[in-house]
Amino acid sequence: MAEEKSSDFSRRKFFNVVGGSSLLTFTGGLGIASAKFFYPGVLYEPQSTFNAGKPEEYQAPGEGEEVIVDERWKKKQRVWIIRTKTGIYGLVAVCPHLGCTPNWFPGETVFKCPCHGSVFNPDGEVVAGPSPEPFYRPMISLAPDGSMIFTTGLLGIRRPNLQTVKKHADVFWHEDEQEIITKPPFFLPVQA
Amino acid sequence: MEENKDKSRLQNLIDSIVKAVMENPVYKSIFRTGYPDTLLKRMSVMRTSIVMHILPTKVGVHGLKLRYTWCMGGITFFLFLILTLTGVLLMFYYIPEENRAYNDMKDLRFMVPFGMILRNMHRWAAHAMVLTVMLHMMRVFYTGSYKAPRQFNWVVGVLLLLFTLLLSFTGYLLPWDQLGFWAVTVGTNMASATPFFGYEGPFHELLGVQVDNDIRFAIIGGTRIGANALVRAYVWHCVGLPLIATGFMAFHFWRIRKDGFSGPL
Repeated sequence: MAEEKSSDFSRRKFFNVVGGSSLLTFTGGLGIASAKFFYPGVLYEPQSTFNAGKPEEYQAPGEGEEVIVDERWKKKQRVWIIRTKTGIYGLVAVCPHLGCTPNWFPGETVFKCPCHGSVFNPDGEVVAGPSPEPFYRPMISLAPDGSMIFTTGLLGIRRPNLQTVKKHADVFWHEDEQEIITKPPFFLPVQA
Repeated sequence: MEENKDKSRLQNLIDSIVKAVMENPVYKSIFRTGYPDTLLKRMSVMRTSIVMHILPTKVGVHGLKLRYTWCMGGITFFLFLILTLTGVLLMFYYIPEENRAYNDMKDLRFMVPFGMILRNMHRWAAHAMVLTVMLHMMRVFYTGSYKAPRQFNWVVGVLLLLFTLLLSFTGYLLPWDQLGFWAVTVGTNMASATPFFGYEGPFHELLGVQVDNDIRFAIIGGTRIGANALVRAYVWHCVGLPLIATGFMAFHFWRIRKDGFSGPL
């Protein structure tokens, strides 16, 4: 008996450790596998890239108008294409608050979200309501034939990504960052 | 004399039938304790019946007072049973597919015999269940029934409230109408603000979480509410959540039986 007790690592303890660690590995693996199961490897969602036609197809604003918001891609791609006097840019029609689809009101020249009442100007900036961020902007590239390819990517590109950080620091824009929405790839200059 | 003889023959016949029935092993395995004429036998009836064993073997008079219990827990459970039954029937006609879901719901209302009352029973029972769960919670709170030794059952009850709301929420998407669609869009977007695991939440960049691998993605099976979200809501609504809720409910009732009804001593 005394000899058995002198061994610190008994047979029982050995099997407890082996059994316990096996069980832990098994349940842990099962947990990870179960979590992983809910992330499918392929999505059958609308493509995040689409051909929006040639810039000439979008009517330029006339006398006394600042912008013309084109809604032809809104239903299919959730993108507004906005023609200003100097060019074209896109806005992703997803409210950055909780994901509803805002509506364009040409008379008031604002976007309004029906869910919680956020209001945005044609630049996509928040004028009123709970939205913490402006609209995302898709990237525009030109195909060889001159038509515009819009890329929203992973929900699109939010105007400079640093913006959230900047806003918290009370510095909304850096001078050089402000440029980003006035030049390619987020803005396509078009001759009047 | 003739009458007596006839009567006793009839009596004998009845007696022999009663004897044959009551000594039958099937009868004996259903009614195990005999006529419950003593307290012990009455408690034994409760203990040996699968239906009655949910209840405590002994209930004080105060526990039966409607003024005290409001029977809110019982009504909630009754509504859960109605929802299970009507829900299973709805599953015969409803297919969770983008192009069919809304039409199937409309067909259930207008083309399926008794479909209108079936769907409305499911719908109103669901609304009522949320209400009765809350009233039950209020009653338990105001009578102090959450106190020791019942504090753990209160916690289970709060979880059951959560599962009731989750069942309501997942069921909201299934008609695939504008109301449910945008409500679930908004509701699941809140998950994207989860710290670490939501793509808009604080510290999400530490784990490399973005829109296609965050917690919201696991809930709706995509980056937007679509076909995957509909099937996921359906499976959680019809199988996953009811099973979990049933497990917690069994525990909830078992705990009531062990602790007894609260109330004036």
